[in-house]
Amino acid sequence: MLSRSAERLYWLARYLERTENIARLVSVHMNLLMDLPKGVEMGWRQLILISASEQEFYEKNNVANERNITRFLLADASHTGSLFSSLSAARENIRTSRELLPDEAWEQVNEMYLFAKNNLETVVNRRQRVLFLNEILKGCQRFTGLLSGYMSHNHPYRFIILGRNIERADMTSRILDLASLLLSESRSDEMRQYETILWMNVLKALSALLMYRQQIRSRVKGDDVLNFLLLDTDLPRSVGCCIAEISLCISKLPNNIPLLLKLVELDAYVQGIDTRQTTEDQLRSILDGLQNKLGELHSQIADNWFLTATEE
Amino acid sequence: MKSIWKNYKTESAYDELMFSEFQSRAVSHKLCQYLNSLKKEDIDKRKIAAELAIMEMGISFTVYSDEGNIDRAWPFDIIPRIIDGKEWLIIEKGLKQRLTALNCFISDVYGEQAFIKAGKMPGEIINSSKNFRKECIGVKPRHNVWANICGSDLVRDKDGIMYVLEDNLRVPSGVSYMMENRVITKRVFPELLQDIHILPIDDYPTHLHDMLLSIAPHQNGQVTCVVLTPGIYNSAYFEHAYLAQQIGAKLVEGSDLVVNDDDCVYMRTIQGLEKVDVIYRRIDDDFLDPEVFRKDSTLGVRGLMRAWKAGNVALANAPGAGVADDKVVYAYVPEMIRFYLNEEPILPNVPTYLCSNKEDLAYVLEHLAELVVKPANESGGYGMLVGPHATAKEVAHFREIIQKDPRNYIAQPTLAISTAPTLCKGKLEPRHIDLRPFILQGENTYVTAGGLTRVALKKGSLIVNSSQGGGSKDTWVINMEEN
Repeated sequence: MLSRSAERLYWLARYLERTENIARLVSVHMNLLMDLPKGVEMGWRQLILISASEQEFYEKNNVANERNITRFLLADASHTGSLFSSLSAARENIRTSRELLPDEAWEQVNEMYLFAKNNLETVVNRRQRVLFLNEILKGCQRFTGLLSGYMSHNHPYRFIILGRNIERADMTSRILDLASLLLSESRSDEMRQYETILWMNVLKALSALLMYRQQIRSRVKGDDVLNFLLLDTDLPRSVGCCIAEISLCISKLPNNIPLLLKLVELDAYVQGIDTRQTTEDQLRSILDGLQNKLGELHSQIADNWFLTATEE
Repeated sequence: MKSIWKNYKTESAYDELMFSEFQSRAVSHKLCQYLNSLKKEDIDKRKIAAELAIMEMGISFTVYSDEGNIDRAWPFDIIPRIIDGKEWLIIEKGLKQRLTALNCFISDVYGEQAFIKAGKMPGEIINSSKNFRKECIGVKPRHNVWANICGSDLVRDKDGIMYVLEDNLRVPSGVSYMMENRVITKRVFPELLQDIHILPIDDYPTHLHDMLLSIAPHQNGQVTCVVLTPGIYNSAYFEHAYLAQQIGAKLVEGSDLVVNDDDCVYMRTIQGLEKVDVIYRRIDDDFLDPEVFRKDSTLGVRGLMRAWKAGNVALANAPGAGVADDKVVYAYVPEMIRFYLNEEPILPNVPTYLCSNKEDLAYVLEHLAELVVKPANESGGYGMLVGPHATAKEVAHFREIIQKDPRNYIAQPTLAISTAPTLCKGKLEPRHIDLRPFILQGENTYVTAGGLTRVALKKGSLIVNSSQGGGSKDTWVINMEEN
């Protein structure tokens, strides 16, 4: 398979996963805020903190209110981290990789893009935003299902899985950044009162609540949630599972020796995480370390397989 | 006839579907009857369905503009154009004959030049041709075929005769739209396609693939075939991707390929370098190889010509094939058919005046306002003068530029090219159309059943190019005996 094609498919998957994650995050956050009383620390601002786009947001907006933040995160085409920008980038990558994928896959992404483009204005309205986000979530899932059902599980497919899981692991770690707030010693009494709801929403953001209940079979507790989302190897959005998927793909790709070594190291790091009695600072540094390691893994993948790294 | 046919006037041109305002041709009878049975709202619904399908399938073409590149939806008219199967048999034969003669000519030009030596054509025409590549002299592509893929443009004049307007032998495009048009028509008029027997066209990719395999340098074992595109911003990128997908070839850009010291072409893959046997190139000669042609080209592959001349890779179309694409050379095709094949041409040329010829030039300058003037080597309908539709200023401008560079211009009488009913604001109106069949030649020769019908969507306009506001229709070749 061409190096350039591998790169495009990898990015296609990353952008689509990002699209889905932004939709998921905004949707869960909206639900959460409807459950919480006004004035709790958990406001809309949290969303731009997670996506590390605070500075860019304030360059464009004065007030961090629901309207501005949702528009910034979902519809702002000039913000490269927005849902619409990610979806546009995904579409461009699939448009230029059509010869490798079933037609339906392209049509699915293209349809979703057209839908988003025609409905960008609706996201400021809460009720319509719910519909918009649902449609995007469904679209992304349809794409995933379509590929797993229609496409040979060959090298091109592996680069899609690879991109998806790196992005997913990264996003899960960012959502857990949000959770670090829950462990803060300085958190208000009011916030402590709603802690269970907050942890439940962290699970929901990763579509993991039901699976958590089945697996843990006790009430929702902070360290159990962290444990589940970081270490479990069966839950699709847990970091441990993403790494297992990445390992599987890489083990089937050519010239993979240096990467396999890197993965052993990464896996050891993750499985060595101890979530019992973690403080806010400890969790922060664990997640920072994880995000850095994922970044390194990405660079090594690019050096190993993509065109940008090959010499003239 | 009622509703959408109201006020349909067949003008002075030949109409492909209607014999007169009130009477359909035998071959289009079923279609006209069916359209007549639909209410106006039904027609509108079908039109909307077609537009939606085009958007969702992402059938687009790119138009260059100052603000970057815009992907536009493919303009499509849902009313098909019909050709009688019996007539098609003759056209098909004529096209095969024509491409065979053209390939003999190209081989001859880069070889003995017998045609010129026999006094059939002034050698000056070749020596002054922009598309004559001296680097190709002495090369012998497999099967002696240089133009493996040809798109010839046909038009019907008011006498009802189909003329060949031009042969596109460089990188003809449009075949993907021909196939997608049929897909859309199947979605929009499923009941109709069940009742009428229309020759299928979706085997084109199979024939294309077979042809590409047949020109591979080695005929044993697996052949690696790629489609070479200038990249994602090219106006025909959609088609490049479509064809690569259809034949299961890799779609590559220049930067994906490399020619090594062994004069073989390799592509950069995740496994390292992999050898390439056949390249269906969709970039012009000029950009193909900076070592030989334009030095500043970043689209091509350094050393590609070396690899091709060494016989290590096949290129379709072969470099230099465009020499027969010249509109001055076009004028000599009937003579080529007689010379190389010892046959009479089946399809006529449009009468052509060569401005390089003194007598012709005098006639052209005198009759500019009646003629169509074309530059010898442009494509896409650019740089043309349509005399009867031009202003006095435009005519004066052409008088000047023709005199400056007579070799580069030809003139033809303005044909009353045929029309077909086209949906315009809910009503059917006649619009001018042409036809681009695609001919493949390798070990065997193949012609698509019909081709891409392009339609000038503006009333009275003769310009059918999509880059200039033209659209397209599905093309049906119908065998009457089977219906």
